Amino acid sequence: MKKILVANRGEIAIRVMRTAKKMGIKTVAVYSTIDRHSPHVKYADEAVLIGEAPSSLSYLLGEKIIEVAKSLNVDGIHPGYGFLSENADFAELCEANNIAFIGPKSHAIRIMGSKLAAKEAVKAYDIPMVPGTDEAITDIPEAKKIAETIGFPILIKASAGGGGKGMRIVEKVSEFESQMNRAISEAVNAFGDGSVFIEKYVTSPRHIEIQVMADTHGNIIHLFERECSIQRRHQKVVEEAPSTVLTPELRAQMGEAAVRVAKACDYVGAGTVEFLLDDAHNFFFLEMNTRLQVEHPVSEIITNTDLVELQIRVARGEVLPYTQDDIKIHGHALELRVYAEDPLNDFLPSVGTLETYKLPEGKGIRVDNGFEEGMEIPIYYDPMISKLITYGNTRDEAISLMLKAIDNYHIEGIQTTLPFGTYVCEHDAFRSGNFDTHFVKRYYAPENLIDQQKTEAKIAALIAVQCYLEEQKLLRLPN
Amino acid sequence: MDSKIKNLNEKLQQAYLGGGQVRIDKQHQKKKLTARERVMYFLDDHSFEEIGALVTHRTKDFGMENQKFYGDGVVTGYGTVDGRLVYIFAQDFTVFGGSLSETHAEKICKIMDLAVKVGAPLVGLNDSGGARIQEGVRSLGGYADIFYRNVQASGVIPQISAIMGPCAGGAVYSPAMTDFTIMVEDTSYMFVTGPNVVKTVTNEEVSSEELGGASTHSTKSGVAHKTSPNDVECLEDVKSLLSYLPQNNTKAPDLLPYELGDEIRDSLSSIVPDNANKPYDMHKVIKGIIDEDSFYEIHKDHAENIIVGFARLGGRSIGIIANQPMFLAGVLDVNSSKKAARFVRFCDCFNIPLLVLEDVPGFLPGTDQEWNGIIVHGAKLLYAFSEATVPRVTVITRKAYGGAYDVMNSKHIGSDMNFAWPSAEIAVMGAKGAAEIIFKKEINSAEDKDAKWKEKEAEYAELFANPYSAAERGFIDEVILPKNTRRKLIKAFSMLEDKEVDRPKRKHGNIPL
Amino acid sequence: MSQSFKVNVNKSFDFDISETDSSQLNSIKTSDNEYHVLHENSSYKAEMTLSNFNKKLFQVKVNNNTYNVNIYNELDILIKEMGFEIGSAKIVNDVKAPMPGLILEINVKVGQDVKENDTLLILEAMKMENVLTSPRAGVIKSISVEKGDAVDKNQLLIEFH
Repeated sequence: MKKILVANRGEIAIRVMRTAKKMGIKTVAVYSTIDRHSPHVKYADEAVLIGEAPSSLSYLLGEKIIEVAKSLNVDGIHPGYGFLSENADFAELCEANNIAFIGPKSHAIRIMGSKLAAKEAVKAYDIPMVPGTDEAITDIPEAKKIAETIGFPILIKASAGGGGKGMRIVEKVSEFESQMNRAISEAVNAFGDGSVFIEKYVTSPRHIEIQVMADTHGNIIHLFERECSIQRRHQKVVEEAPSTVLTPELRAQMGEAAVRVAKACDYVGAGTVEFLLDDAHNFFFLEMNTRLQVEHPVSEIITNTDLVELQIRVARGEVLPYTQDDIKIHGHALELRVYAEDPLNDFLPSVGTLETYKLPEGKGIRVDNGFEEGMEIPIYYDPMISKLITYGNTRDEAISLMLKAIDNYHIEGIQTTLPFGTYVCEHDAFRSGNFDTHFVKRYYAPENLIDQQKTEAKIAALIAVQCYLEEQKLLRLPN
Repeated sequence: MDSKIKNLNEKLQQAYLGGGQVRIDKQHQKKKLTARERVMYFLDDHSFEEIGALVTHRTKDFGMENQKFYGDGVVTGYGTVDGRLVYIFAQDFTVFGGSLSETHAEKICKIMDLAVKVGAPLVGLNDSGGARIQEGVRSLGGYADIFYRNVQASGVIPQISAIMGPCAGGAVYSPAMTDFTIMVEDTSYMFVTGPNVVKTVTNEEVSSEELGGASTHSTKSGVAHKTSPNDVECLEDVKSLLSYLPQNNTKAPDLLPYELGDEIRDSLSSIVPDNANKPYDMHKVIKGIIDEDSFYEIHKDHAENIIVGFARLGGRSIGIIANQPMFLAGVLDVNSSKKAARFVRFCDCFNIPLLVLEDVPGFLPGTDQEWNGIIVHGAKLLYAFSEATVPRVTVITRKAYGGAYDVMNSKHIGSDMNFAWPSAEIAVMGAKGAAEIIFKKEINSAEDKDAKWKEKEAEYAELFANPYSAAERGFIDEVILPKNTRRKLIKAFSMLEDKEVDRPKRKHGNIPL
Repeated sequence: MSQSFKVNVNKSFDFDISETDSSQLNSIKTSDNEYHVLHENSSYKAEMTLSNFNKKLFQVKVNNNTYNVNIYNELDILIKEMGFEIGSAKIVNDVKAPMPGLILEINVKVGQDVKENDTLLILEAMKMENVLTSPRAGVIKSISVEKGDAVDKNQLLIEFH
């Protein structure tokens, strides 16, 4: 493989190209009209304009990208994450044009892209699933029986559901009937269909995922877990590896389960198997992401690997250079996603220009970044500006470094999730490791940040008044 | 010493309170700031130096000897606006209704004299019930002392009046002789004789607001150059007006730092409609030429068929005079001629270069205009342009017909650079009228008169409804693409920066007043 | 005479600060525009990054966070109380785009009567749909955009009669 096209933008495009360059492979960037100034365009050896700003007119144009790849004699396409990364048709299109798609085969993408197909595929592989009904149910006595076998609390959700309508959490058996009735009636009113599913309600769940890597010779390894429970709007903000709650045994169990999931779909390349972990440390399969994840750097750091390099090697048909026994955990890594969002205003996008933009530097700090000072945050794409990653021998060290790095990350012109990162890193629940996906709901309110700021604001005010009074005394003469 | 310092502090505290807290509160209830508050707001923070805070009147009649207030109804002194020296007086309505006494007038005259000697602008904030009647003729003498100084200062330093309360009787003549008068809406009025006198003499029923409020003077009479919704905006308006002006007639206005870079402006290409009878908004042309948000319009609502105002062009302060096709097709009439002539003369006094944007179909015909002396008033504009020695540039965007072509800063009356857009039509009159006169016989003898007329109209238009015959004679220096106008003008004014003109020695010219 | 001020920081915090308050802050100058502050025994680093004496506008960095400080004296407060703030007197006659984005939906028509807070249009920015509501009751005079248009910040969207 001599030339790779990266069908993506921002930090991930640069991340992929960095490894390609390291391996002596030429790089090709594609870009939309609005991205001409983006660093990924300047970083690549070659760059081609593929269309207008909206991604449907540029980064999602599979055929156009293939055309570009062919005209530049590209022999591999890396899709990054998002955009075309989990598009089975695009993977096939690459194969049909004799260009290596740096990712899994299309059938694996298809299977894991559908919740039902995924469940079906892993059935035979002894993967723990959230206990519940396989089929929709309307019969109340029957449902009650099932609920009792699963054990309370349980979740009733409308099969036609969405938006929380027809969804009920039932804590004890005595409440079951009335809650079921209300769920059904809500479902009928909202969707005209009263059938519901029943499943175990996982209280205080943690979101833990396992990184897997498979080659085309039947070798599959896992690279341990990532803890991704700190989320807002169901999207991850802070991730770390390893997790504070996994014992070596549980880690091994989950790792093996993840490898079996990969086997179930003949997986090739880098993938992530997501699990829910309940408070009793039972884990349940959620889904598999058939791409390189945003938060992959934390796994790279603790395992001393380069996942993009492994992806490329696998795509070239090489055998994985590691066996499971070669992979060990070294230290601890933490990642904060820096979004152009206002944590004081419900994490809504904060649009603007990066008037000041200076990255933190130093030992134990890695920034996967896609922006430069003076650039505007385009409205057309995901508002993530960069990923701030810190690592040390211990979790505490990584956290302290993160706090320091956030302090030295200078962004003006827009609001970002940086102050939220500070809040998380200073919070007792996070520091103790005792938290779950409800962290934001339970502990975070804008007032928390505001209170923190208030003292500093008061100091700023006092200093300003001091300065103002000093200046009053200055003798100013007319020009 | 301590007790003496205390004594001074007490006196000053008393002076700062003017007519006392009760009257201050009343002033606030009327949506008016006090004189001192206005001065503090207007000037740079902590830059005000008061002169004559402890002055009191000398009247002994009508028990006045027992009513004395430090300052005597006017706050005077100097300070800075954006670092520039400015002299200011502010009449204090809380002291005897701001009425003008002999000493009150003396205080004003004192800073006027300083302003002229030093060469710095004078700003007057008027809020006065009129003459201090208890003082009789001494008060009238005080007015005249001020008037006389207004005239001596005219054309030497910029003088700006803000009317921020009543201004009646003789008092109106001081603002009238300053360069600009800005009135606050709803709280100010100006008239020579008030509604009561009007009622007795002419039996007319009229309110103060209708007779001499801000809207009356900014639309009908043109006495006010600008109006502002409240005290604070009025003071801001005075400040921004000052920013376009120099300190005095020997200086040029400050050149603001300006980053050049957007000199080609495509928006200018699509403003003038193809159909010569369709109006367009000349403000768009102005906006397309000048620095962003830099237009400061004078007499916005008076004689709207001509636009005048200050602007920045590449950081340089300029005066713009532009015909406005949106109103009366942009003709020159009595009011628009007077409005433009006064503005041209002001700019010439204070070394502000002139830019003329021309789209003029001629003078407004009719008995009303002729009987009101359009001849003499139109002559004012012609005179004003002809005598102006500042750099002068004209851009003809469309029509330049007849005598109005000569008047609107033509090359012949001393303009330095005259540009025309390709849409310009420089002729004695419109093609239709011209054809009717020149080809009268032919048209009348033709079988199809209308067709002949049209044919001849086209013939004339072909020859004169364009800028080229003027360009061939050098009456137009260059025909330019609209989008390049800004670029051409910045260069032209820069080229003309050191222009000097010697005039023959004379006492003063005799402008047709 | 001791001066006292109302001070607003980052448009979110208001403090009443007197001359005495400010003199009681335990701060030392460490360089031309840097300070070390001890506040309730905690140590803070502060830096004056911008100061505009005439506008009484300061920008202070405290522990690397930027704070924009507006100081209001008694006259400023009086002016505010009298309702003289620049531009405050004008009624809103138009709706402009608060951020760049794409017009996803237009929910009103020219001539339509709207109440305050009625949905006017939906502006998509970064895949978030922002509902722009009516700032006042009135009749729609004109709509200057169409569905699918990309708009700049402050671009005119809707005018009222």
